[in-house]
Amino acid sequence: MDKNSMMDKARQLVENMDDLPTIPVVATQVLQLIEQPDVRIEDVADLMLTDQVMTARVMKMINSPVYKPEHEITSLKRALVYLGLRHIREVALTTSFINAFDEDKGAMELSAFWEHSFGVGMVSRIMAKKIGYQDLEKAYIAGIIHDLGEVFLSNFMREEFQAVLDSIKGKPIKLVDAEAQQLGTTHCEIGLCMAHKWNFPEAYCEVIAQHHTPSDATIDPILCAIVNLSDLFCSVRELNYGGREWVSFNLVEEEAWQILKNESPKLAEMDVERFCYDLDDAIPDVKELVSSIFTAKE
Amino acid sequence: MAIADKDFELIRDFIYNICGMFFHTTKKYFLESRLARRMDATGVKTHLEYFQLLKSLRGSEELKFLMDEITTNETYFFRNVPQLNALENKLLPEIVEIKNKMGFRKLRIWSAASSSGEEAYTMAMILLEKRATLLKDWIIEIVGTDINETVVAQAKEGIYNAYSVRNIPDAYKRKYIKEDNGKFILSPDVKKFVTFNKLNLYDDNKMIFMKTFDIIFCANVLIYFDTASKSKVVQHFYNNLQPYGYFFVGQSESLHGVNDKFKTVHFPGGFTYKK
Ligand SMILES: C[S@@+](CC[C@H](N)C(=O)[O-])C[C@H]1O[C@@H](n2cnc3c(N)ncnc32)[C@H](O)[C@@H]1O
Ligand SMILES: [Fe+2]
Ligand SMILES: [Fe+2]
Repeated sequence: MDKNSMMDKARQLVENMDDLPTIPVVATQVLQLIEQPDVRIEDVADLMLTDQVMTARVMKMINSPVYKPEHEITSLKRALVYLGLRHIREVALTTSFINAFDEDKGAMELSAFWEHSFGVGMVSRIMAKKIGYQDLEKAYIAGIIHDLGEVFLSNFMREEFQAVLDSIKGKPIKLVDAEAQQLGTTHCEIGLCMAHKWNFPEAYCEVIAQHHTPSDATIDPILCAIVNLSDLFCSVRELNYGGREWVSFNLVEEEAWQILKNESPKLAEMDVERFCYDLDDAIPDVKELVSSIFTAKE
Repeated sequence: MAIADKDFELIRDFIYNICGMFFHTTKKYFLESRLARRMDATGVKTHLEYFQLLKSLRGSEELKFLMDEITTNETYFFRNVPQLNALENKLLPEIVEIKNKMGFRKLRIWSAASSSGEEAYTMAMILLEKRATLLKDWIIEIVGTDINETVVAQAKEGIYNAYSVRNIPDAYKRKYIKEDNGKFILSPDVKKFVTFNKLNLYDDNKMIFMKTFDIIFCANVLIYFDTASKSKVVQHFYNNLQPYGYFFVGQSESLHGVNDKFKTVHFPGGFTYKK
């Protein structure tokens, strides 16, 4: 299956979807506001505070042990200062994405999806730090949104997607490969179309499109490699879509590992065994965060 | 005394660095209760003091006592399910494909430190299930070895208690285990694939003759060895493994820093080592 035809298929699917969730009004306004040259953080905070669910979710995301703030951040304004203006846009987009898909109506439960996503976000942040990547917040957010397209498949192509999941159950087949084979497109292309529609920044679009093929990335291959590897680690510990995918990999043969080792040679000495065990230990925090983000709605 | 998170992490890191065994946070209370026994026995008052004792000159002696408390010298059938899944899903088919291409239809598996044989017999059951399909016309050789003659004799006998067989999936149990007065007797169909011998992993002269294995298990024993001995033993395993073979350690063990030739291959719930 070539990339162009998979992209065409995805575009067609996303364009023809009438009830594709839209971004909340407030998020759109936030995005407009932060484009202004003389924007002040106070104004952004005031605007965001008009959407309580969004505010609550931003606070949960930032204060979770998964994200590891230096100390608890109690006000939205402080949170935005901490993140910096350049990240507010992404956080607004991420929480919009959470808002857009907070109803359990897909082939797989949302909690499994979000636990994987936040898990990959957390691990991406840790990996980013390990290799000296300059923007840890970016890595965190890229990890959270990388599988955007998966929710589309699960929610809007419920039956077809269920059939894909059934076909790989307990087999050593990657979900992304089964999608390509059976649906003619994958969550990468679909996610990219959605990200374009929602005006996600370019680097994130690339992560969504290339997180399974990091060596094809051109804008930020390091970021794509970070997310790719974090995704693999989460897939072999208990952040693997509730065990729906059975993944196995030989670390040294992974292209992401090569890319990151070139970037930071000392990575070769990493204690990956210990890393996996520590990851197991962090899973309750991830689950806790996901459930708190979704109870923020009530 | 409840153990503080900070002290738990100090002691767990210490155990990990010396023994290569990781205590997950879920086992914190277990560790806490076992530490209490050792603190009683040594008269040490706080966890921090106990940690200092472990690090002190007579620490290695105390560590032996602690290890006795926190590890159980037990074994049972189907002990490491993620490992078995990985073997069935991927590793075995992969090895079989390679050997089929070479026209070499023989599988050799070693359970090093096999204790009373459960690990070796678990493999035998799993392979036996594949006699009609993947392993049709294959020769299967499973070897179990242990330093302790008593457990080697038990392994040869193949009679088990309820605890030991509790994890065997029903389908296997029905086929391969016969219950008799609270004793669980292993079917001769399984037994005939496995041989048991006495072998000390420190015995270099014997270790070099354990050749050409496709899969080696050495679970829950290297944690008692010091780093130098671990390295030496693991190097033997490395040499004795086929180039496409796999080497398995126990559930929360790690070989990091013990051998830098083996590569990690990850799968859900675990990893294995490859040349
Ligand atoms: C806890 S059992 C492990 C059984 C099995 N491998 C498992 O994981 O369930 C540990 C075994 O290692 C054996 N052992 C200890 N030191 C050994 C040595 N130097 N050489 C061979 N076996 C040894 C003991 O006799 C004991 O049976
Ligand atoms: Fe993906
Ligand atoms: Fe993923």
